[in-house]
Amino acid sequence: MNKPLFAIAVALGIASVAAVHAQAPAAVSRAPAINDAQIANIVYTADQIDITAAKQALKKSRNEDVRAFAKEMVRDHAAVNAQALTLVKKLDVTPENNPTSESLSKGAAAELKKLAVLKGAAYDKAYVDNEVAYHKTVNAALSGTLIPAAQNAQLKSLLETGLKLFQEHQMHAEHLARQLH
Amino acid sequence: MFRTMILIASLALAGGSLPASAATKAAQHATAPAHVVHVIVIDKMQYGPMPTDVHAGDIIEWVNHDIFEHSATARDGRFDVDLKPGATVRMTTVAGTTAFFCKFHPGMTGTLVVK
Repeated sequence: MNKPLFAIAVALGIASVAAVHAQAPAAVSRAPAINDAQIANIVYTADQIDITAAKQALKKSRNEDVRAFAKEMVRDHAAVNAQALTLVKKLDVTPENNPTSESLSKGAAAELKKLAVLKGAAYDKAYVDNEVAYHKTVNAALSGTLIPAAQNAQLKSLLETGLKLFQEHQMHAEHLARQLH
Repeated sequence: MFRTMILIASLALAGGSLPASAATKAAQHATAPAHVVHVIVIDKMQYGPMPTDVHAGDIIEWVNHDIFEHSATARDGRFDVDLKPGATVRMTTVAGTTAFFCKFHPGMTGTLVVK
């Protein structure tokens, strides 16, 4: 695993451990380690990261399959974020910055820099490999941490639909990676 | 019925193209079975239950309740319906069993049986 991805995995891992602590019987009176405002921020950040990476792919890649995948990422992740923004407004929740979303952004910025210097087939392969790894990490965080921790039913439902969507993206990226290798 | 037949016959004898055509349509209305509309809802990244007892000529109404763009794309190329978020699109069926999927999210699949 490359360094930015490792950082993301560690950050999400920390959130996961915290969530497990929150569910322990001794912590009945304690507030959840991760609240809905933080979850909304993490999801929004994770979506935004993938949109930015896809936009970079649309500038750099000439491979039709890679470009079609990138367009799908922009379209689907933008749809999730539009829904997330509508939901936070409706719930009157202000998305809160937190160590996980900060770490996600930091790791993604480093990954974008790394991808920026690559060209042609090397870029396509690196972009798609990163998409496989990124979706795997985000899906693990969604199913293991964010969905169980979400308190609001509408947010939970959005995360569950998001998980199904991102699992599709992971499969699509894996299929594409097999084509490129 | 007898009166209708007389009317159709006299219209045919009159030789007017418009009345003859109207009569044909009227006759078709009287005899053709009604085409049923079957609704398939897409929600939360999956196709809803498939309608049963679908006959050739019936209408399938695809309703996309998701916030994502989907499609209903037949594996044999028989149909390819694009469904923007919130869209409702109708198509007329032909007999046969057709496996279909979403071309944007290939994990979404279904099979439509038309008698």
